[in-house]
Amino acid sequence: MRQILTILWDSYRLLAAKKLFWIVLFLTVLIAMIYASVGFTPEGISVLFGAYQIESDLIVEGSMFAEYLYMMIFTDYLVPWWLGLFALVLALISVCPIFPDFLKTGSIDIAISKPMSRVMLFLVKYLGSLLFVAAQVSVFCVIVFIAQGVRLAIWNLEIFWAVLLLTFVFSLIYSVAVLVAVWTRSTLFSLLIALLVWGSTLAVQWSESVIYKLTYAAPASGLSIDMKTGQTGQADKPLEVNEGMEKFYRVIKAVGTPLPKTRDATYLLKKKVTVRGKNLTRMSEFLEDDASERERREAKVTEDYDNRHSTAYIVGSSLAFEAFILGIACWIFVRKDF
Amino acid sequence: MSDIVIDIADVRKRYRGGVEALRGVSLQVPRGGIFGLLGPNGAGKSTLVKILMTIVRPTRCCGTMLGEAVGHKSTLAKVGYLPEHARFPEYLKGAEVIRYVAGLTGMSGHLVKQRTAELLDMVGMGDWGKHRMGTYSKGMKQRIGLAQALINDPEIVFLDEPTDGVDPKGRLEMRNLLQKMRDEGRTVFINSHLLGELEMICDSVAIMDKGEIVRQGTIAELTEKSRRYELRTRGDLSEGLQRKLAEDGVETEGDTMSVYHRDPAPMQPILDALRAEGVTIVEMREVRQSLEELFMESVGSEGVGGTQKGSTPPQLPGKELVK
Repeated sequence: MRQILTILWDSYRLLAAKKLFWIVLFLTVLIAMIYASVGFTPEGISVLFGAYQIESDLIVEGSMFAEYLYMMIFTDYLVPWWLGLFALVLALISVCPIFPDFLKTGSIDIAISKPMSRVMLFLVKYLGSLLFVAAQVSVFCVIVFIAQGVRLAIWNLEIFWAVLLLTFVFSLIYSVAVLVAVWTRSTLFSLLIALLVWGSTLAVQWSESVIYKLTYAAPASGLSIDMKTGQTGQADKPLEVNEGMEKFYRVIKAVGTPLPKTRDATYLLKKKVTVRGKNLTRMSEFLEDDASERERREAKVTEDYDNRHSTAYIVGSSLAFEAFILGIACWIFVRKDF
Repeated sequence: MSDIVIDIADVRKRYRGGVEALRGVSLQVPRGGIFGLLGPNGAGKSTLVKILMTIVRPTRCCGTMLGEAVGHKSTLAKVGYLPEHARFPEYLKGAEVIRYVAGLTGMSGHLVKQRTAELLDMVGMGDWGKHRMGTYSKGMKQRIGLAQALINDPEIVFLDEPTDGVDPKGRLEMRNLLQKMRDEGRTVFINSHLLGELEMICDSVAIMDKGEIVRQGTIAELTEKSRRYELRTRGDLSEGLQRKLAEDGVETEGDTMSVYHRDPAPMQPILDALRAEGVTIVEMREVRQSLEELFMESVGSEGVGGTQKGSTPPQLPGKELVK
C-alpha cells in the first residue's frame, strides 16, 4: 500500500510541476465561472452575473426549462467540447511524456529494483497519470455543482459522474499512448499515435451517428432525403427504412464495435443526470400534456437516437479495448530489459 | 548468517539480436567489505548488476543473493542501488527523492524522516535537502543518489560507476563514504572502470572481459605472483657480476634490476655483491603489480581502450626501503 501511495504522490508532484497543468486548470476554472455567471430572472436569462439580459417567456426563474437548459449546457456543450475534447488534448500533451521519461535509463532502474512487482508498478503509474484529468474535471464539477445549487437551488450530485466518465474516456486514449511509449520510449510518437487512434475512432463514431440519423431517425420523423439530388421531403407519418442504408449502418457499427467509444462514453453523462427526476435522454418526459402527435414522434426519435447504444455496450466494448491495449503494454513492460 | 552474500553460477544473458552480454558468469561476493567489479566498457558489468537487481532478465541464472534466489523481489528490500547515470525527478527536492525511494521500498513513518535527515548529513547535503534536484550539480546528485541507496539500511549496496563525472574532491569524499559503509558492516559492490580508485578502497575484485570473469580474489592474492624487489643502481657492472646476478635470478634492464623474491633476506647477498664492486645503490623498493597492470594482463590490449576513459593513472604501489 505504501508503494502505491508513493507512486500516486509522485504523480501528483509531477503534475503540479507542469505549467500546462495549471494553464488548463486556469482555463477550466474560467469556463466554469462563465457557466456560473449564467442565471435566470423572472424576465429571462442573465449572463455574466447580470451584465446582459436575454428576455424569454419560457426560460425564466423557477421553470423546468431553465433547469433543463442549464443542465444541457453542461452535458451537451461544456463536457463534450471543453472537458471531453480541448482539455483532453491538452491533458494528453501534458501527460504523454510521463511514461517515456519514466522508462529512461537511470530512472526506471531505481523503480524496478525495488520490492514491487512490475505489473503493479506499471498499473499504478498508469492510474497516477489519469490524475491530470480527474483533478481538472473535479474542479470543474465542483464549480458547476455550486453554480447549480446557488442559481437553481438544485444540489445535483449526479453531475460528478462527469469525473468518472471523462477520466474513463481519457484512460482509453492514454492507454494507446502508453502502449506506444512502452514500445518505443518516444513521447512524440506516442502522442501522435494516440491522437491518430483517437481521431480515427471519433471519425467512426461520427459516421455511425450520421448514418444512424439518415437510416433510422430521418424516416422515423417522416423526413425523406433524395441522395442524388439532395432534395428533402416531410411526410405526416414515419417512412420505411431503406434496406441499403440499413446494411451500410450495420457495417459501420461493426467497424466501430471493437474501438473505444470516447464520444459515446462522454454522452453517457446525459443518461446519468436528471432534471426534476427526469432523465435527459427521455425527451418525451419533458413534453407538456398538450404536446402534438408530431412533437411526441420527434421526442421519441430523439430518445431512440440517444439510447441506441446501451451503457453496457459502450462501457463494455471500450473496457475490452482498454484491457487489450494495456495488457499488451504491460506484457512488454514486464518482459523488457531496461 | 552466510559469509557469502552473492553466490551465482553460470549466469548468461543473450540480448535480442544475438549479442551475448554474459557467457556463464560465476561469482562469489563475501559479506562485509568493498567488492569491485572491473572490466572494459561492454564487458557485461552493468548487465550483471541489472540481473541481480531484476532490471534485466537473465537467459540463465543459478544462484542466490542474501540467501534467496536471484530475482526474488522481497530480497530487494535489503538491497540499495545507485544506477549508472541515475536520473531523479527534477521537480523533487533532495529529501523528497530519498523519501520517494523509501516509499518504493515500502518504508514509512517517522523512521524515514529521521533516516533521511541522517543520510543527508552523512553525504554532506544537510543544507541542500530542501532544494530541488534541478538546481544540483552532478556531484550533488550523486550524493543524493548514494543517500537514497542507503535509506533502507541495506545489507548490500550496488554502486554502478558512482564517481563517473564527479570532480576529484567529490571522488575523495565518495571514497570516504564507501569506507564508512564498509565500517558499518555493509557489503559494497562497485562497478567501475576507474582502476586507481578501486585499488584504493576495494578488499576484493573480479575482472570481467567479454561477458566472463577472468580473475577474482583479493587484490593481495591477485598481485602476489608479481611481488618483487627493484634495485636502481649507478655505475657499471663487471661482466662477472652481471653473470653472477643472472645466475641468482636477477633481471637487469638498464640501471634497474628486478628480483622476484617475497622476502627481503635473499636480497642481502645481492646488495653485498653490488657494494663490494663499488656500485652505488640509488633505490631499492618492494613492488607488486598494480591493479591496472593486472587488469591489462587479464583483458589484453583489446579491452583497454575503453577502460581508461576518465580514469586517473594509478600509482605504482611501491614501498621504498633504500634511497
